Amino acid sequence: MHYEHLFVYRGSVVSPALIQPARPALVEVAGRARPVVLAGERRLPVPGPLGDLLPGGGLQRGTVVSVEGAGGTGGASVVLAFLAAATAVGEWAAVIDAEESFGPLAAAEAGVALERLAVVRLRDVPERFGQVVATLLEGMTVVAVTVPRQMRAAEARRLLARAREQGSVLVAAGGWPGEVALRLRAEGSAWSGLGRGEGLLGARTLRVTVAGRGAAGRERTAEVPLRAAS
Amino acid sequence: MTARMACLWCPDWPVVTARQREPDLTGVAVAVLEGGFVLSASAEARAGGVRRGMRKREAEAGCPGLVTVPADPAAEGRAFEALAGAIETVAPKLALERPGLLFVPTLGPSRYHGGDAALAARLGAEVEAAGVPEVRVGVADGTFAARLAARRAVPGRAVVVPPQGSPAFLAPWPVGVLDPGVRGVPGDTANLTSLLARLGLRTLGDFAALPPASVLGRFGPAGLAAHRRARGEEEHRVATRAPAPEWDVAHEFDPPTPRVDVAVFAGRALAERLSTALAGDGLACTRVRVEAETEHGERLARCWRSGDGLSPALLAERVRGQLEAWVGGRADAGTAEDATGGLSLLRLVPEEVVLAGRSQLGLWGGDRAAAERAARALVRLQAHLGPEAVTVPVLRGGRTPEERVAWVPFGEEAPPPPVYEPWPGAVPSPAPAVVFRPPRPAEMLDAGGRPVTVSGRGQASGEPARLCCADLPGGGGAVEGWAGPWLHDLRWWDPSSRRRRALWQVEVAGGVACLVAVEGGRASLEAIYD
Repeated sequence: MHYEHLFVYRGSVVSPALIQPARPALVEVAGRARPVVLAGERRLPVPGPLGDLLPGGGLQRGTVVSVEGAGGTGGASVVLAFLAAATAVGEWAAVIDAEESFGPLAAAEAGVALERLAVVRLRDVPERFGQVVATLLEGMTVVAVTVPRQMRAAEARRLLARAREQGSVLVAAGGWPGEVALRLRAEGSAWSGLGRGEGLLGARTLRVTVAGRGAAGRERTAEVPLRAAS
Repeated sequence: MTARMACLWCPDWPVVTARQREPDLTGVAVAVLEGGFVLSASAEARAGGVRRGMRKREAEAGCPGLVTVPADPAAEGRAFEALAGAIETVAPKLALERPGLLFVPTLGPSRYHGGDAALAARLGAEVEAAGVPEVRVGVADGTFAARLAARRAVPGRAVVVPPQGSPAFLAPWPVGVLDPGVRGVPGDTANLTSLLARLGLRTLGDFAALPPASVLGRFGPAGLAAHRRARGEEEHRVATRAPAPEWDVAHEFDPPTPRVDVAVFAGRALAERLSTALAGDGLACTRVRVEAETEHGERLARCWRSGDGLSPALLAERVRGQLEAWVGGRADAGTAEDATGGLSLLRLVPEEVVLAGRSQLGLWGGDRAAAERAARALVRLQAHLGPEAVTVPVLRGGRTPEERVAWVPFGEEAPPPPVYEPWPGAVPSPAPAVVFRPPRPAEMLDAGGRPVTVSGRGQASGEPARLCCADLPGGGGAVEGWAGPWLHDLRWWDPSSRRRRALWQVEVAGGVACLVAVEGGRASLEAIYD
């Protein structure tokens, strides 16, 4: 960061030696100011143990992230965690719910601020699916969609370009026909607390595998504890 | 669901009041003037060509023998208050719109008096007994349709629009009726109706036939509200809970005052305080209850409403009129005043609040620019997909994860968040992430291969051993853990809508946990804890 241009002193630029003592104080203040989105990396921090699994502790803005896993294995909880990440810093998130199966109560428990969540409820996939997603990418930070079966690679490329241009994150549940920055796979969970006719669903440990490009090239798997019953 | 309303309209209320004061004016062409313009004219004067808004000279030139009387809003208010008191004996809950126009919800009174037509006849009889010569009664779903029904009615014969018949009833009316046009004040809709006429949409039916998404995109939220009215729906989603009591404003008179002007001054200050408090939260009041207590403990209450929202000026005017009707009425009564003393307390209670204009976009605790960007994208999407498709979820009370959610279309008011107390029999947290709407058919079998059912006393017929459903990975499997049943007996007081069901939390092989409901011997998959 260059501070010099802020201090034009009698027509001449202030030398770095004069502001050197102030630099640590300014860095310390920047560390205290929230939210911190480091300009170089433009990452959306994801809180909780899932965030520790991701490279950089969060999602990179302007990318597509795919979440795979058969129904019931925990993919939806991962998507909810990403939505919570966006609303936690005061930004908006949207979900395209093409089967009318979104559970907002679970979202609220995962930490999503419901007043900043928009749910597009449709009976099935709309004809201009790409246009709908593009409109949402312009307005929201995180957009979660279920990838429709007939999605083509060209459309996927267009949506990736739009996400990059707007600096938003597209979370695609299902197989994304294109390049993705992060590929997460939910491999099932182990529930505790439920007996045979007694007890209640309590804590759960979700197995998540993360694979990415570049710096996050290695595959990492971890057990993510989620949501103990209150 | 629009509430069924009866509208009582006494046309030319200023003339009626003037005739009550001076009985010689009955049958004569009378015009009531306010500020040099004709405010209201009797039927005989209208036959002579006198219209509202004419100048005094013009009216007198067109109709020789016209008697002009100055307007007396205080007397109008008093007479209307007396009429409201008479109507209260027939139907206890009424909402006054302006002197001469009031609404009565018909849910209870219709059942009591034996039908809408009987209720309308009874109301008409009550009004005539109170000394008002002409009243028109209309009954329909929603206030807009009821008002038009009253316009079409004749004294002695009410117009009753059958339930769900409002759209058909409203279709042939011209679009000009969308203008409120109260006392010559044009609303936002003045431009809208002229635009619609120029576009070739001349009747409400033509306008109602347009898809809501297109109306929103072309005419904006004001157009959508008018579109709702044309379809016979309520234009504001009414909040399901009463507004919070902290919005009530009250003023104590110490010592109690029998004087009108003191009460009116305090009433105006209260109206301004209430409007400012509501506006600070981005709300407007559509129905307010004006309450007063007298020195001797008598309690008075009257409910005022306005379909377009009570603006600060209108609210102050209504409060003033009501106070003049109460306090001034007592001064008129003479000895009655000594018995009841003066006003000791005045309170305004907002009964119905709506969002003023556009929705509040999370201006507190959020990035303002992000909220505006989001709102722009969502409104654009609503223009493509329809307003109902783009929703914001709101939590409310309920037992199952499905019941706990209300889907509020973006841009509309949301009911205030409930202070949540867990309902008895509610499914405990954690909540499932995938909720099936409608629930998917499934089979839950016990160890002997028979479906698990629940008896009338809530006893399960066996322990779940196997769950089969097409929507589970692998089609289901053996049950590894289960809890329940949670028994729900819903609406037991209404045999037609009674539902009895039992819910289980079930974990099948593979670590998939789900919520299964059994109702009427059939199992269904309600949700998966994904």
